[in-house]
Amino acid sequence: MPSRDDVMIECEGLTKRFGTFTAVDHVSFAVSRGSIFGFLGPNGSGKSTVIRMLCGILEPTEGTARIGGHDVIKEGDAIKEMIGYMSQKFSLYDELTVNENLIFSGKLYGLRDKALKQRRDEMIAITHLEPYLTRRAALLSGGWRQRLAMACALMHKPSVLFLDEPTAGIDPVARRELWDLLFEFAGQGMTLFVTTHYMDEAERCSHVGYIYMARLAVCGEPDDLKKMPDVSPPGTRRLDVTCDHVTTALQAMRGVPGVRSATVFGQSMHLLVADSITTAQIEEKLRSVGIAKPDIHEIGPSLEDVFVTLTDKLASENRAAAA
Amino acid sequence: MKAHPFRGLRAILFKEFIIVWRDPMTLFFMFFPPLIQMIAFGYALDNDVKHMPMAVLNEDRTAESRRFIERLVNTETFRMVGEVQNVEALASEIRKGNAYVGLQIPPHFTRDFRAGYPAQVQLLIDGSNSTTALQALNAAISVGLSQSMEMALRESSRRTVPIEVRPQMLYNPTMRSPNFFVPGVIGIVLQIGTTFATAMAVVREREKGTLEQLLVSPLGRWGLMLGKLVPYLCIGMAMAILLFVIMRFLFNVPIAGSVMALMISSVVYVFALLSLGLLVATKAENQMQALQMSMTFMLPSVFFSGFIFPRETMPWIFYAIGAVLPATYFIDLMRAIILRGASVLEYWPSLAILTGLAALLFCVCALRFRTKIG
Repeated sequence: MPSRDDVMIECEGLTKRFGTFTAVDHVSFAVSRGSIFGFLGPNGSGKSTVIRMLCGILEPTEGTARIGGHDVIKEGDAIKEMIGYMSQKFSLYDELTVNENLIFSGKLYGLRDKALKQRRDEMIAITHLEPYLTRRAALLSGGWRQRLAMACALMHKPSVLFLDEPTAGIDPVARRELWDLLFEFAGQGMTLFVTTHYMDEAERCSHVGYIYMARLAVCGEPDDLKKMPDVSPPGTRRLDVTCDHVTTALQAMRGVPGVRSATVFGQSMHLLVADSITTAQIEEKLRSVGIAKPDIHEIGPSLEDVFVTLTDKLASENRAAAA
Repeated sequence: MKAHPFRGLRAILFKEFIIVWRDPMTLFFMFFPPLIQMIAFGYALDNDVKHMPMAVLNEDRTAESRRFIERLVNTETFRMVGEVQNVEALASEIRKGNAYVGLQIPPHFTRDFRAGYPAQVQLLIDGSNSTTALQALNAAISVGLSQSMEMALRESSRRTVPIEVRPQMLYNPTMRSPNFFVPGVIGIVLQIGTTFATAMAVVREREKGTLEQLLVSPLGRWGLMLGKLVPYLCIGMAMAILLFVIMRFLFNVPIAGSVMALMISSVVYVFALLSLGLLVATKAENQMQALQMSMTFMLPSVFFSGFIFPRETMPWIFYAIGAVLPATYFIDLMRAIILRGASVLEYWPSLAILTGLAALLFCVCALRFRTKIG
């Protein structure tokens, strides 16, 4: 746990109910200064609702949230100066040009004259928006809209930046460039709170939280999550098996005692097997279905393994509770 | 730290003026329909009925009976559309809509009044439109009366009629309908053109998600509301001036009072209407709802504001509805200033109530506006 002075975002028992529907159920976590917090979860699990409560535009039904030590409900005006928010929709004014969108965002936070122009120029330099300054926002492609939305959210130099699925619908190059920028900001001490569906992005975060059915299932550093007993049970190991006819191999392995799970990953499959099962036994089994020369080596779990395992576990718990 | 309530006003103004300017559709819908409506209403709401078609069944066929018909035609209220030969034909002309009025002069018309008996003529009037029917009735009765009076005078020793009413029409001496209606039309047309504009401007931001972005910023709600309102107030005033020019030069309605007073009343009125639009926006979820809700206020403003029907004769409930409509006070002010040339000492109550309504609407919408979502 980070020391209290360093905590930029923290929430305690944060809950939001819409009528009888509970969108967020007693979520608690803390994010320290300069870290990139990846917030993951299936669609509709409550990610955006948490962000909106942290930004002070949605009142929690229960619980508290603090940004930089300020209560988001009682000191809403103070936190507004500190936070930047980039919504899923990259909300921009289509009728305004790139330059005007930046100027507007700056003015909104009270920037004027020289300071405003200087900050705009900084943001243009960072995001490489120069060639598009006089273009209407409506005519920008997805990647450039996202850059402009981020530049707008950063005009007032926020110390905490919330990004709600910043890379949804963006091409891989733009995605990579955005993450390079995020690392740069984090290096300068900015705290980033990012929701995403991409596992490779989650792997890049310093901390991740996984929300499932309105509840925070896990939260911590990626490496710690991978060591969780649910994910890596004692007496088991994970194997990557690269071979021909992966689907046939998958069918074959699923029936073998001691194989806890088998999943396809592109050209290979990942197995979670008991330590008692040897590589020779697996080769033997595969040969029996006509697959020769599999390449087998031990691997650590990925974050995807973590989330898939946890989702399965929570889903079966929910089914048990319902029955 | 408490944010300044009007914080961010300059930013919103900066953006709104650009957006309004670059959005020709909104400008078009604010200007074009009201202009057409002004011209159409101005011409259509003319209930000075002239030259009503009249069918005649003259069974008397004397110089006197013909002179009576001539007198009716000379009032300019009636015009002859044809003579018929029997009562059935007369009734059928009216039923078919060929004639509005049927006049039957019986065979003994001249003989009766020469003999000193009361001579009778029958007048059939299509009563489906009570206003025009009443005008036809009045015109016919007055022609009958004045001709009777002349004959009576000729037979008596008197030179003049015993009582003479000498009316003098103040403020609208020629009794032109446009003078009465057009100032009211301006009130109605301004409402059509403005209320929806602010409602749409806010709801559009809600739909696009930019409102969420604004709520995250330290923008004050008063700043947001005023920033949304002012650009449309400018457009609304440009429209008001255009409408006054049309009234003055197309409909030839003279402005008896102060032009400055007209402008001040218009600013207050448009401000009230735009605030009403903002109030709609605090409720409406999408642009369709915003449009429908804005239009909800239209019909009461047409019927209960005294625009067409005098409020004094309305049942109390409609009178009460009229009392909370900005249009009621604006139309009242327009008639006072344009037609009667009233001074501020005479019309200040209406202006004060209108100002109060505008301030109230604006405060309510700013306070009701949720700075949270969901």
